Amino acid sequence: MKSVDKNSIFLFLLPTFVFILFFSLIPTLIAFIVSLFKINFFEPSKFVGLKNFIRLFSDKYFYQALINSLIYLSVTPIITLISLSLALILKEMNSNERLFKTIFFIPVVTPIVIAGIIWRYIFNEDNGLLNYLMLSFFNQKIHWLSSYPENVISVMILTIWRGFGYYLIIFYAGLLSISKEVNEAAILDGAGFFRRLFQIIIPQIKPTITLVFVLSGSAAIKLFTELYILIPGAPLSHKTLVYYLYYQSFERFDLSYGSTLGIVVFLLTISFSYLNIKLIEKER
Amino acid sequence: MKVFKKIFLSSILFLFIAIALFPFVWLISTSLKGAEEIFQFPPKLIPSDLTFKNFVEVWEAIPFGKYYLNSFIVSIAVVFGNLFLGSLTGFLLARRNFKFKNILFFFVLVSILIPQEMILIPLYLIVLKLKLIDSLAGIILPAFVNGFSIFMMRQAFLSIPKEIEDAALSDGCNLFKLYWKVMLPMTKPTLISLGLLIFISTWGDFLFPLIVLRSQENYTLQVGLSYMTGTFVDNFRLIAAGSLLSVFPSILLTIFLSKYFEKGIFEGGIK
Repeated sequence: MKSVDKNSIFLFLLPTFVFILFFSLIPTLIAFIVSLFKINFFEPSKFVGLKNFIRLFSDKYFYQALINSLIYLSVTPIITLISLSLALILKEMNSNERLFKTIFFIPVVTPIVIAGIIWRYIFNEDNGLLNYLMLSFFNQKIHWLSSYPENVISVMILTIWRGFGYYLIIFYAGLLSISKEVNEAAILDGAGFFRRLFQIIIPQIKPTITLVFVLSGSAAIKLFTELYILIPGAPLSHKTLVYYLYYQSFERFDLSYGSTLGIVVFLLTISFSYLNIKLIEKER
Repeated sequence: MKVFKKIFLSSILFLFIAIALFPFVWLISTSLKGAEEIFQFPPKLIPSDLTFKNFVEVWEAIPFGKYYLNSFIVSIAVVFGNLFLGSLTGFLLARRNFKFKNILFFFVLVSILIPQEMILIPLYLIVLKLKLIDSLAGIILPAFVNGFSIFMMRQAFLSIPKEIEDAALSDGCNLFKLYWKVMLPMTKPTLISLGLLIFISTWGDFLFPLIVLRSQENYTLQVGLSYMTGTFVDNFRLIAAGSLLSVFPSILLTIFLSKYFEKGIFEGGIK
């Protein structure tokens, strides 16, 4: 290669490198450093070692937020079931799939804030649509937004509504990769749909299932905006880890404790993904 | 038996179509209702007197046009940065050999793995140090190029046959021309998919703009609308009109570029 080329390569890479360095790599380092200090806007920063991490263990709001975030993980199997079923139906019907997929994309591309606003009014306890239906069919109202754990269900419904179209696409792509010959041979042998599902389809799309578990699980651990819009008035004990992070950093201005919580979120998502990948490797 | 199965599957499918679309039907219906009708119980799906005045009123009640413009500036800038720097870096990573290439690629992968939540406070501190708090630049710069874009473009460039590159180079093409004139046009489908994904996610971005933007004239749509739900608690018809106007670009783009959106999700999913 010419040396002129070599120089221009470095010139071309420089902007990207600067951006990655300043807005990704250095922040990662700072996250760990900040968590070892006591930093807020009111007094000079000081080194406190692992105090922020030790504080986690005696913080009941942290435990509650952690538990809530883990509860939201149960969205993962539900959303997997819904999107896999719909992908199978689309594949089986084999007609107009482009139109159907486009319709299912619409909730996916709706900004969370707007999705939250719409559902907040559907869940509205006094004059919302759902309580109107509840009143007419069951003669009682549900506290969709103000009571715990009802509001957990509401946030889950919003999350599933906005998410299933996304995972449907991933499953649909996974289903296309199943070997046609095996499937058709099974049909010729008279294998019914459920037999093919459990003996041919599911074993072949296991990596896709793992992928959907990892993606939707990490998203569930990191829920924030959904709660911020849907249940802003709910007490802290109804909120998630990332919400608690936001609260500590930008309402209590305890940036170092907030950063510590960020590391916990990172460790949780990494271990959840790792666990899923290990599980699938073990089965092979 | 076949007919029965088909009816059963179709009804499940249509149930989910209804679930997916119903909130929008309701949003549209509410945005067309008058002030009195909004509190009617039971709520009505078809407004008795249709009115478009909510769409005018929301424009007057809050600096809605300013929010819209801000969201556009931010989204277009972030899309531009990711397409240009993402493709340039992806091209070099895929097609050239240079010193520290593996280290750079490793950094790219690390930046994909790091969740935004973990670096939220450091990013805030950096934006603070750069004196960019309460400015659009403060939310554009941290998102200007991300590892995901570089990775996706790298995959696209990897799939171009080597012969094309060799032919261009033996014609005396220089490096930038090889990238800009020969290779980049061949990655057009990926560029469209990536641009669409980045636009949609930037348009809907909330947490970081929420902590960086302070004054009303700098709000993006999402931040502005979230504050609006606080101030206009009982005025859902205005909020509905505002929400409808702000969800419009994402939905329109997705309908027209549905194929590219799917391609983007698929390529992004298998990263």
